[in-house]
Amino acid sequence: MKLICTQENFKKAIYNCERAVAKRNTLPILNNILFETEKGGLKLSATNLEIGISSQIGAKIEKEGKITVPARLISGLSNNLLNGDNLIIESDGDVLKIENKTNKTVIKGISAGDFPLIPFRKGDYLLELDGIEFKKAITKVLVAVAVNEARQELTGINIKLKAEGLFFAATDSFRLAEYEIKLKEKDINKEVYLPFIEKNESIIIPANTLIEFNRMIAEEDNFRVKIAVEDGQIFFEMDGIRLVSRLIEGKYPQYEYIMPKEYKTRIVGEKKFFQHAFKTAGLFSSGGSNEITLKIDAEAKAAFVYASGAETGENSTELKFDITGESQEVVFNVKYLLDGINIAATEQVAILLNSESTPVAIQEIDEKSGEVLNNFVYIAMPIKN
Amino acid sequence: MKPLTNTELWQAALGEIELSISKANFITWFKNTAILSIKNGRVTLGVPNGFAKEWLENKYNIYILRALKNIQEDITTVSCVISSNQDRSFLSIKEPSVDAVLPPKKTIEYTEKRLHFNQETNLNPKYTFDKFIIGGSNELARAACYAVSQNVGRVYNPLFIYGGVGLGKTHLIQSVGNELLKSNPHLRIKYISSERFTSALIDSIKNRTIDDFKSEYQKIDLLIIDDIQFISGKEKTQEEFFHIFNSLYQKNKQIILTSDRPPKAIQILEERLLSRFEGGMIADISKPDLETRLAILQQKSAATNMKIDDDALEFIANNIKNNVRELEGALNRVSVSAQLTKKDLTLAYTKKILSDILSSGKRKGITHKHIFKVVSEFYEINQDDLIAKNRKKEVSRPRQITMFLMRSELQYSYPGIGDKLGGRDHTTALYAYEKISKEIETNEKLKEEIDQLRDQIYSLTG
Repeated sequence: MKLICTQENFKKAIYNCERAVAKRNTLPILNNILFETEKGGLKLSATNLEIGISSQIGAKIEKEGKITVPARLISGLSNNLLNGDNLIIESDGDVLKIENKTNKTVIKGISAGDFPLIPFRKGDYLLELDGIEFKKAITKVLVAVAVNEARQELTGINIKLKAEGLFFAATDSFRLAEYEIKLKEKDINKEVYLPFIEKNESIIIPANTLIEFNRMIAEEDNFRVKIAVEDGQIFFEMDGIRLVSRLIEGKYPQYEYIMPKEYKTRIVGEKKFFQHAFKTAGLFSSGGSNEITLKIDAEAKAAFVYASGAETGENSTELKFDITGESQEVVFNVKYLLDGINIAATEQVAILLNSESTPVAIQEIDEKSGEVLNNFVYIAMPIKN
Repeated sequence: MKPLTNTELWQAALGEIELSISKANFITWFKNTAILSIKNGRVTLGVPNGFAKEWLENKYNIYILRALKNIQEDITTVSCVISSNQDRSFLSIKEPSVDAVLPPKKTIEYTEKRLHFNQETNLNPKYTFDKFIIGGSNELARAACYAVSQNVGRVYNPLFIYGGVGLGKTHLIQSVGNELLKSNPHLRIKYISSERFTSALIDSIKNRTIDDFKSEYQKIDLLIIDDIQFISGKEKTQEEFFHIFNSLYQKNKQIILTSDRPPKAIQILEERLLSRFEGGMIADISKPDLETRLAILQQKSAATNMKIDDDALEFIANNIKNNVRELEGALNRVSVSAQLTKKDLTLAYTKKILSDILSSGKRKGITHKHIFKVVSEFYEINQDDLIAKNRKKEVSRPRQITMFLMRSELQYSYPGIGDKLGGRDHTTALYAYEKISKEIETNEKLKEEIDQLRDQIYSLTG
């Protein structure tokens, strides 16, 4: 193998692959990144057998071939190479030589013959979505994913597949976040998607896979991502990158039933004031459950956030916000409430309540119309008294 | 020849494949694989993920086919499908819940507990009188403790409670403390184990703060020392304890002690301490009777809202007799496994779950006769020789081992052992037991023999 590529491209491909490398595995070759020439370019691949990533970059190929090298070594090297230089990459037996104007490297590798074959979709793709939109949907719900949960299905993000939209949801059973992507004509591969959703109402993707996916998409990237599902695996393809992961088997909780249809009380105000009020109250909240109280006085048109602890003292904030509906007094775990407020992206945020024992919702407010946006809902359960 | 099952065939094939590839590869790629079906020579393998499917189909196909063919000639092709059998069976246990979001639990209890777990008193608030189940075996001790809690320092001082492990001594004496604390939070109460008492004393000697240590203890209104038998032989501790004891006693401060045996039976206890221990009230707790055990189980299961059949509870109460802790352990065990497997707690299920912890000694109906039989067969001697007055070496040794086993496995009393073995003196039995116990530690061969004998005894009724 011999080729020339730019240092930027090389660095990006290594960055994309390195996280899929196995941390501890019985098979030494899984600690390595595979280099291979393909279709006039260089393809780098890595896998831990849970997910597999390959990233293809443009390169001038002089001689075909492939080899694997330890990921830690090559990523350390790529991070420290000077920018803006072309790299000459050449394999010779079981070593890989990398050279620019000033630096010469010889890395000991392992022959590529034993490197796992990364599965590739056999059928056609289901969806082709805007990458940024997809990333946004993941970010919105990721906060509610359960970590180290005995119930495996809660460690993933559930996507309900509907003809008109995709509903992303995550819950750790104390709070739940749901975000909807509206599907447009060009987003769907009709012949495949429509029959598929008749048989499969939803899929659960491991949160780790989606975290990796998000990492690979930069905010300014503007490309579309193709998604296919086959054999309990999900395939993503975008901009020379392919990612494959297992899906989580199991049944996601039917959370629709617990989402309130309407709310008796609504309080709308600036996100940052909510944040301040909750954070300061949180400092004084007592015990392991971080209890704070949100009190809404409908007649006085005032809302208070307060907390007290036997060891800390007490704190309260008055929120002079727009209140509609009945008076309420509800106790929360401040962490769960704050997570919801933080993830809202608009300047104004709505908190919607029914009673002290039913879920409270956090939703975004459209800047222009002042209406509640319905594509994102974050709900949390109050603490029972 | 019987045709191989799929599992057997795959096991055989794996054995062969393992020889031709490296260990790491073998583990990585063949873990959690199985033959799902064989039809007209086509074998379908279930593999855990897409990577394994690709690898086995493309790289190891030849190895797999060759290995399978060697065992069963008619096999022509091998293909793989992704299936996670293990996962699925695991998942099917848990029913998907409709409530996706639950209210987080309030942690008031937790903070309360912390407040109570006062550094000063060391009392655990979970031990109270109302949670203590009264039965014939502990009536006296409970009544004495309750009387003390109502009238501290004036009746039964010192109060000495003794009884075996896990029968509720600690529960009772901490209840006294908690009860008193409830009616009078300002009382100075200290609960400490004698072992901690000793180490605190040693620290104070080391740091030359022994006077502080003494005056600290002399201010206490109620001193509770658990497992006092451990101060046996520790002269300095006994001496300091003696002074503290005297000073508290003179001021009519209450002292409560527990031990696993009566004061007289504590070895190396100074005479003056012994007489003081015996000067107050001594009450014992013995093993709970069936009704008490059942009541304990009922209370425990009601407290945790556990749904369990009455006859299952009765089964547990009937079979676990020695100690309350074991009783609760058994109940927890069935409850946890029932939760995991989502099964109802019926008698049959309880029996199944507890079968392995019930397999020791008396509970299985093993008697000294079984031991005689096994030992005499093992050493190829006549059973009558064991009992007869005969001191030949080839007989006396097995006899000693018999005595040891009767003691260790069936908890026979020494006189009882002597009696069963032809009316020998109890000291003979005691000597035999101690001799064998000591020898086991150094003599590997004897230990093996004893283990074998045990196995045989238990397999008799198995």
